[in-house]
Amino acid sequence: MIQVDIAEKQQHKKLFVTWSITFLILFPVLITLGFLMRAKQGQLIDISMNKFYSFMTLHGLGMAGVLFSIAIASLYYLIGTRYARLSIKTGYFAYYFIVIGVVGLVIGTLIGEFGAGWYMLYPLPFKGAYWTEWSIGMSFFSILILGVAWLIQCLHILIELSRNYGGFKNMIGWQYFSKNSPVKELPSIVLISTISLLASVFAVLAGAVMDILFLMQYFEPSLELDPLMMKNIIFFFGHTIVNATMYLGIAWLYALLPEFTKRDWKVTKLVVIAWNCTFFFILFAYFHHLYMDFVQPMSLQYIGQFASYFSSIPATAVTMFGVIGQFYRSKTRWSMVPTMFLLGVAGWAIGGFAAVVDSTITINKVLHNTLWVPAHFHTYMLMGIVLIIFAFLYYISANENTDNDIKPGLSFWVFMGGSYGFLLMFYLGGLYSIPRRFSDYAGIDTSAVRETGTTLAQIAAFSVLILLIALLSMYVKLIKRLFHSLKTITV
Amino acid sequence: MNLLITPLSIQSTAAFVSLLGAMLVVGVVLFLVITSSDYEDKASAKAKVYRMRDKYFIGLALTILIVLITSLGMLPYPKFQKTADMDVTVVAMQWSWKMGQGTIPADQDLVAYDGKNEITLPANKLINFKVTSADVNHNFAVYNSKGTLITQTQAMPKYYNNLQYLFTEKGDYEVICLEYCGLPHAYMVAKIHIE
Repeated sequence: MIQVDIAEKQQHKKLFVTWSITFLILFPVLITLGFLMRAKQGQLIDISMNKFYSFMTLHGLGMAGVLFSIAIASLYYLIGTRYARLSIKTGYFAYYFIVIGVVGLVIGTLIGEFGAGWYMLYPLPFKGAYWTEWSIGMSFFSILILGVAWLIQCLHILIELSRNYGGFKNMIGWQYFSKNSPVKELPSIVLISTISLLASVFAVLAGAVMDILFLMQYFEPSLELDPLMMKNIIFFFGHTIVNATMYLGIAWLYALLPEFTKRDWKVTKLVVIAWNCTFFFILFAYFHHLYMDFVQPMSLQYIGQFASYFSSIPATAVTMFGVIGQFYRSKTRWSMVPTMFLLGVAGWAIGGFAAVVDSTITINKVLHNTLWVPAHFHTYMLMGIVLIIFAFLYYISANENTDNDIKPGLSFWVFMGGSYGFLLMFYLGGLYSIPRRFSDYAGIDTSAVRETGTTLAQIAAFSVLILLIALLSMYVKLIKRLFHSLKTITV
Repeated sequence: MNLLITPLSIQSTAAFVSLLGAMLVVGVVLFLVITSSDYEDKASAKAKVYRMRDKYFIGLALTILIVLITSLGMLPYPKFQKTADMDVTVVAMQWSWKMGQGTIPADQDLVAYDGKNEITLPANKLINFKVTSADVNHNFAVYNSKGTLITQTQAMPKYYNNLQYLFTEKGDYEVICLEYCGLPHAYMVAKIHIE
C-alpha cells in the first residue's frame, strides 16, 4: 500500500467522479438504443433499417467501449490511491481522448449512419452499400483514438505497478514458486489487474492492427485482405476486450469484498495458478467464434472448445468458491455493495455457463448467431460486470466506508427483475432459433420463427423500459452521494 | 406466437442444461443469504468451503473430460465428412442466395453464376453444400418447416465451406442468412424443397 496525501486523493477522486458522471450519462443512452431496437423488432415502432443498424453499431461499440473504459477508470482510482502512484495528467489525457473517440463514433453512426456492427467482418464496412463514405473513415479513426487512450492507461498502470511490486514476474505471482519466500506480499488486486491489463494490451494491439488494415483499405480501395485472417483478428480483439472488462471488475472484487465480510482474501499458490491459466484461456477461447467457418484449421477449433471449457475451472473453483468462502456464515450486512458483488458474480456464472454450453461445437451448430449469443453475453455484461461496476460506484459514493453503504431499495430490485425478464426473452429466442441482428422478422416465411421472434421482442422491449426507469430512479441518490463524497475525503 | 413448436433435441438440451446451471447458481446465492445471519469463525468456515471445493474441482474436471471426449467425435468438419450423394453449389450475394446442383470451376465469376433462390433436392441422400460468397460474409442456415434451425455454415468470400446434411423428412425448408451482411440482411432468404 502507498501513502497518498489528501490533495492527491482529491485529484484522483475528481477524475473518477468525472468518469462516473460520464458513464452514468452514456449508459442509459446506450440502453435506450437497445430498447429502440427491440421495439422495432417487435413492430411497436417504425424506424428505418439505416437507423436500426446504426443504433446496433453504436449500442455494441458504445457498451463494450464504455464498460471497458469505466472498468479501467475504476482501477485507475483504486490503484492510484492505494497501490502505485499514477499520473493525474495521464488520466485526464486518456479521458479526453476517449471522449473525442466516443463523439466521433456518435457522429459516424448517428449522422453518417455507419452500420457495420460492433464486430465488423471484412469487407462489410466497405460494402454495406447504404452508409456514407466519410462515416467509415470517421468510425475507424474514432476506434483508433479509443485504442490509443486505452493502451496508454493500461501500460501506465502496468509500469507503475511493476515499479512497486518488484517487476513483472513478481506481479504475475511467480515469486510464490521460488525457493525463497515472496520478496513482497502481492495483493490479489495487483495480480488480477496485471493479468487483465496484459490481456487488454494484447487485445488493443490486435484492435489497432485491425483498425489500421481497415484504414488502409479505406484509403486504397484496390487492396484485398483475407476475410478469414481478418475474422480471426476481429474476434480476438472483441472477445478479449469483453472478457478483460469482466476480469478488471473481478480485480477490485478481490480487494473490496473482504472489507464487507471482514475476511481476508490473499494470494496463494492456487490463486496464482488459476489466474496464470486464465490469461491463456482469455487469449485462446476466441476461436469458438469461428466454429462455423469450416475452413479454419481443425486444431484451432479444438483449442476453442478446450480453452472455453477449461476457463470455467479457475473462474468457478477459485474465484467463485472464493466468493462463497467470503460470504458463508460471515454475518455480512446486505448493503448495496456486497449485494451487487454477490449478484454480479451470480450473473457472471449464469451467463458464463450458457456461454460454455454454446462453446460446444455440436451445439453451436444450431445456436450460433441465434439470440442465444446476445442472451449469454448480455447476462454476464448487464447482470455481471455492470453490477460489479455499480458496486464500485456505490463504494466510492459511501466514501470507501462500509458503514456508509446504503441498503438496496425497491428501484434496485425492479431493475434486477426487468433485467432478467429482458434476458429471458433472449434465451427463449435462442431456444426457438430466432436470428440475432435482424431489423425485423417480417421477411421470414416460416411463421413460427417470424411470430415468436416478434412477440419475444415486444416483451423484451417492455422489460427494458422497466429496467431503464428503475435504473434512472436509482441515479438521483447515487449522483448526489458521489458529489457529496468529493467534499468529505479522508485519507 | 407459437411457443408450442418443438425445438430439436440439441436446442432443448442446451436450454435444459443452462437452466440447471442457473438454478444451481440461484441455489448457492439463496444458501449464502440464508446462512449469512449465522456467524462462524473465518478459518473454520473457509475450511468447510474449501473441502467442498476440492470435491467440486474433481467433479468439474471429470465432467469436462467426459463431455469433451463425447462431443468432439461428431464434428461438422471435413475430416468427419463422408462421400456425398450430391453436390450443391451455394453462392451468397447481397441479398439473395444462388443455388444449383453440381460444382463450379474455381475461376467461375460468382456474380455471374446462374443459381436460383429456390431448389428441389431428394430426401435421404447425403447432400454436400459447397457454400461461398460473392461479396461479404453471410451465413447459410437451414430451418425446417417447424421453424427450427437444423444446420448452418458461414458463407465467406474467397473460401468454400462444405456443409453436409441428410434430409430425412420431405417438405419445405427455409434458408435464412445468419451473418449480418448489410441493411436488408433480415430479408435474405431462400427455399429448399425436399421430395
